[in-house]
Amino acid sequence: MKKRVKKIAGLLMAATMVVSLAAGCGAGTESDSAETTSGEKTSGDGKEIVFWNIGTEEVDKAIYDKAIDLYNSTTDSGYTVTSVPTQNDTYKEKLIIAMSSGECPDMYLSWSGGPMNEYIKSGYAQPITDLFNKSELPDRLMDAAIAQAKYKDDIYAVPFMNVSLSGIYYNKDLFAEHGLEVPKTIGELEKVCDTFVENGITPFALANSTKWTGSMYFMNLAARKGGLEPFNDAVAGTGTFEDESFIYAGEKIAEWTEKGYFPEGVNSLSEDDGQARQLLYQEKAAMDLIGSWYTGLIQQDSEEFYEKMGWFPFPALEGSDADPSIMIGTIGDNFISFNCKDEKLAAAFDCATKFSEEEIVDFMVESGKTPPIKGIEKKITDPISKLVVEAANSASATQLWYDQYLPPAVAQVHLDTSQELFGLTMKPDEAAKQMQEAMKEYLEESAE
Amino acid sequence: MEKGVISLAARRKREIHTAAIMFLLPVAVLMAIYIFYPIIDTFITSFYKWNGISADKSMVGFRNWAKLIADQNFWTAFKNNIVVMVLSICIQIPIGLALATLIDFGGKRMTIFKVLWFIPLLMSSVAIGFLFTYALATNGGIFSAISQLFGRGNIDLLGNPNTALFTVIGVIAWQFTPFYMVYCMAAYSNISTDVYEAAIIDGANKGQYFRKIAFPLLTPSLKSAAILSMVGSLKYFDLVYVMTNGGPGTSTELMATYMYKQSFVKFNMGYGSAVAGGMFILITVVSLLTMKLLNRDRGRE
Repeated sequence: MKKRVKKIAGLLMAATMVVSLAAGCGAGTESDSAETTSGEKTSGDGKEIVFWNIGTEEVDKAIYDKAIDLYNSTTDSGYTVTSVPTQNDTYKEKLIIAMSSGECPDMYLSWSGGPMNEYIKSGYAQPITDLFNKSELPDRLMDAAIAQAKYKDDIYAVPFMNVSLSGIYYNKDLFAEHGLEVPKTIGELEKVCDTFVENGITPFALANSTKWTGSMYFMNLAARKGGLEPFNDAVAGTGTFEDESFIYAGEKIAEWTEKGYFPEGVNSLSEDDGQARQLLYQEKAAMDLIGSWYTGLIQQDSEEFYEKMGWFPFPALEGSDADPSIMIGTIGDNFISFNCKDEKLAAAFDCATKFSEEEIVDFMVESGKTPPIKGIEKKITDPISKLVVEAANSASATQLWYDQYLPPAVAQVHLDTSQELFGLTMKPDEAAKQMQEAMKEYLEESAE
Repeated sequence: MEKGVISLAARRKREIHTAAIMFLLPVAVLMAIYIFYPIIDTFITSFYKWNGISADKSMVGFRNWAKLIADQNFWTAFKNNIVVMVLSICIQIPIGLALATLIDFGGKRMTIFKVLWFIPLLMSSVAIGFLFTYALATNGGIFSAISQLFGRGNIDLLGNPNTALFTVIGVIAWQFTPFYMVYCMAAYSNISTDVYEAAIIDGANKGQYFRKIAFPLLTPSLKSAAILSMVGSLKYFDLVYVMTNGGPGTSTELMATYMYKQSFVKFNMGYGSAVAGGMFILITVVSLLTMKLLNRDRGRE
């Protein structure tokens, strides 16, 4: 009898343990209601517009506050905008959880691309094409920025914060020391790299546990080989990720890894912890292909070291017809979408236009940002930022980061496979095949 | 007379029942809302195609489950979980027992170690994750620095798919061994001093006392420790999420990190729920099997 009681007690205990752990999993889908009731409110009552953003720290916080104050103090619509900032890392999950329980904020920030398209498809972002065309924004904002705020034929967001392009930061002193010049072609770039390897310096500071960092090499190589058509076709389903330009990108990455162009243990280094910058600062590495937000980061770390930095766009590929002016990056970086209607939508949109108002733009430039405004190059004094804006203005096309542009399910496969390319644990054709399978599966599912 | 006694006992019994229900009710309600309902809803969600945010979900029947069964990444994750489980049990419990034995035999002198060895358990997993990411860093980490002292190159532990999982398991062991140490210490304190004294008077030395007396008496506690460790390993998430996020490739992917990615990164809430459901089933089966095995052993004794 006693034994049986014990057995039952044991089983019960086991059941509780299993159950409590499953609650951990279930929490993923279910804690949403708790989250939103305990979290900040999403939709203002009556005349209040709630704006979710990531302005938790200076200088971003000051930019948001200034623009929103400007709106609240000048508007005669009767609406007021309340800013609800959330820390960047948790923001995306918080937004998804809020939406899953139907509690989407009136105005919110996204990074456009795949996730924004999911929000639109789920009915949490309203088209603003008419409002947009009637406003001053078409004259103020860069065309490339507007293009990245579109889904199908409508505009769904207002771009505003930063022009961030991927390009190569390099140490001018190290280049001079080894008698090197800024490479114009990938062949020249490889010669530069070989020289550094011979002299015991890692050519590229890359921290790839973060995955999107290595993806920049893949995107740029693929764009220089075949332009943007192969990518656009593959996404549309008319082409394939097994196209030669993606195979080329994969092969180059593998080749460069074997030749020692990247730091040891590249897939364990973390960009978030600044391990790539560390290599640059210690002058153990000479170059870094990264987004142009590095300007602000390096300046913050050391003004003195920043003096040594130069910048050039990813070089052209010899013998390829692809337009070398094509840039990979985001023209805007932050995009405001709207989940409200009629009068409220007009008021919220009006608030979003304040971010491109001259006094706010000046403040952003002072804070080291490059807002996506036409003629911004005249306001900017930093030499690298000037080069970046020039590259943006002269680009025939700008491709948003793959991991941001692709549907999230495919983006993850891209990140995973490109990391494996750097680890030499996957062959380029296998990586391409996996990408294509993921894309195909997504297209088939969304066609249903 | 006799009748009155019976009814008094019955009344008492009834009162105890009422009291029990009253006391259990709050917990039962909380469990129903936060544990049972989510589990049921997870299973329901697993039959839908849903991106996690839109208002409309579409019923797809068993498609998510069929996909799960054919999904190599999920089975890789399960295999990794099993590796974590086996190694956790084989590393953490023996070391925990050894440390507890040292402390038990050492008496007062060991108090300082009792405190020191307990520290890892007090730290949050995320902090431990970051700490070890720095310590294990290929460039400038502790292991690389030691290796360079001997004139060798840097050591890449987390970026190498062959070593990443074992490295993470090592860190998990660092974190949880103290738990099993405390667990075993508690078990030791349940052994009466009379038993120890009797053994010593009978001429047993400490080794014999441990092998012949203490260890058999500790066995039931060790079994439950093994079950705890097993369930803990199968649902493990936080350290892996912080240190490697499943990478490089899928080399450290666990079922829980895979579920998280499907649900929140890839916008496949339906499939993510199927992964959670799959986890639930697998863990239940493994737990019950183990429980049965252990109970059979007990029956034999």
